[in-house]
Amino acid sequence: METPSSDCRGAEAVLNLQPNSSVPITYHPLFGPHNDLILLELDQKLVPDILHQRVTVRGQPDEDAVICTESKTYAIKSVGTSNSVFLIPPSCQFNSFEEPKCFDVNYHDQQSAASVLKIAPGTMELVEIAPRLDKLKLLLSENPYRSDEDIEMGDLEEMERENVGLYKWDDLIEKVQASNDELRNGLQALSAVEIDGYWRIVDEKYMDIILRMLLHNAVLNDWSFTSLNEDEVVNVLISDGFPRKLANHCLCVFGSKVEGGAGISNIWKLDERKVCVHFARETLRDGKRKMESFMEEWMRKIPEGMQASFDMLEGEVLTERIGIETWIRAFRVSSLSGNPAERFSILFKERPKWEWKDLQPFIRDLNVPGLSAEGLLLKYTRRLQPTMDTEPVFSSR
Amino acid sequence: MQIRVKCSCGENCPEWAMLELQGMVEVQPQFQDRLHNLKIGLLCRPSSSPETYTFTVGYHELTGTKVPLKKPLLVLNKAKHTGEDVRVELEVIGIIRHRILFKTRPKALISKTQPTLKERATLAPS
Repeated sequence: METPSSDCRGAEAVLNLQPNSSVPITYHPLFGPHNDLILLELDQKLVPDILHQRVTVRGQPDEDAVICTESKTYAIKSVGTSNSVFLIPPSCQFNSFEEPKCFDVNYHDQQSAASVLKIAPGTMELVEIAPRLDKLKLLLSENPYRSDEDIEMGDLEEMERENVGLYKWDDLIEKVQASNDELRNGLQALSAVEIDGYWRIVDEKYMDIILRMLLHNAVLNDWSFTSLNEDEVVNVLISDGFPRKLANHCLCVFGSKVEGGAGISNIWKLDERKVCVHFARETLRDGKRKMESFMEEWMRKIPEGMQASFDMLEGEVLTERIGIETWIRAFRVSSLSGNPAERFSILFKERPKWEWKDLQPFIRDLNVPGLSAEGLLLKYTRRLQPTMDTEPVFSSR
Repeated sequence: MQIRVKCSCGENCPEWAMLELQGMVEVQPQFQDRLHNLKIGLLCRPSSSPETYTFTVGYHELTGTKVPLKKPLLVLNKAKHTGEDVRVELEVIGIIRHRILFKTRPKALISKTQPTLKERATLAPS
């Protein structure tokens, strides 16, 4: 007997059905609920990522799983259907060698039919979302790198054994729901640095010590803040007792590389804003201050040759008038949740009403795919503008 | 936890077929425990118009069309490996790029035996 070619059975029989012909549709010999078979709806542009195995599912058992490509994060949404969706596998898959048990007109053997393996109750869809980076901040804050941390290898092993807040890249991608690119950006935004294989944020007091030392060395050696030679700066900091990694990190956090003409530049320039903001944070570390005394102390801390201006503190501080006095305290956008609902809830707890110029620095970093800044305001705030020529005020919905 | 979505088919992902119709196909009681290999119906492609299909289930005929999916569907297989700890694997085993959609109400065919009211309510295999 001739074996029927594969085009007259399975999915091929349906997909290649010629005009004026027909194919019987049957229940597959392995027909069943097959709960392990999932249909995932995918944008055409993501198909190559899947086929080349660049896609991962990330999340802890208690979190809603997300799907990550190299650069983006997607939530997985389950969509049910009331239609009957028959799934027919190609002839090369789910073969059963079992002969049909009943040979009557109601049955067909698998060789001459297209057979339905499963009736799909629905599909999974992907919705692009912002990466869930709040958890990254939380994890790295468990155990920041401190100045008194002269870690010997033995201590490190012990800490690792005790699992006290040390995370390698591989641990982070297991725990944080973000794509690789988003995680790298998140680490950069937190000024994290990889030390002995672990991603750490460095305690601000320690950063303060290194920065002051760097500025001090610059004055001693007559270096210009806009043209710092990496090797010189780092070597002097090492001789002052700082680890090379941290010396380099200090340049990365407070400066940027100067674009060289040819080859790789090793000239750095300190970022005036970053340095000034750092000293404002230091000044406000112990709590709120009267504006005059804050300004006086802040200005005194600013290295000579740099110009601080109050605008630099957007998204860093809040001011309030109590009686005739203005007080200032630290309130950093970087310490707020990246989740819009939580962010607005914290902001309105802080102040029931916000003027746009005050609010904007605290929400401009929010990123919700598919929702504009206006959309965010519409969703989470109530806008009050008594007359056309007054400034609008935003309050909680 | 991170699960890499595996795919061993590369660019040659096997294409699955998908038929979609409104409502349910009900199996007559005498076949309910013997579904495997049971005939559901006959899918025909008349020559008249290019992407039209008919699907005859029992005494009813559905008319539908083959439509490309705007977004393809991947068929994923979730496999649990129970070793020292439970590991879940996801593997792409197929792709669906078209569906044959029957969205009209079934048309009753003139039948040999007069269907009873009960039978008319269900789409029964012939």
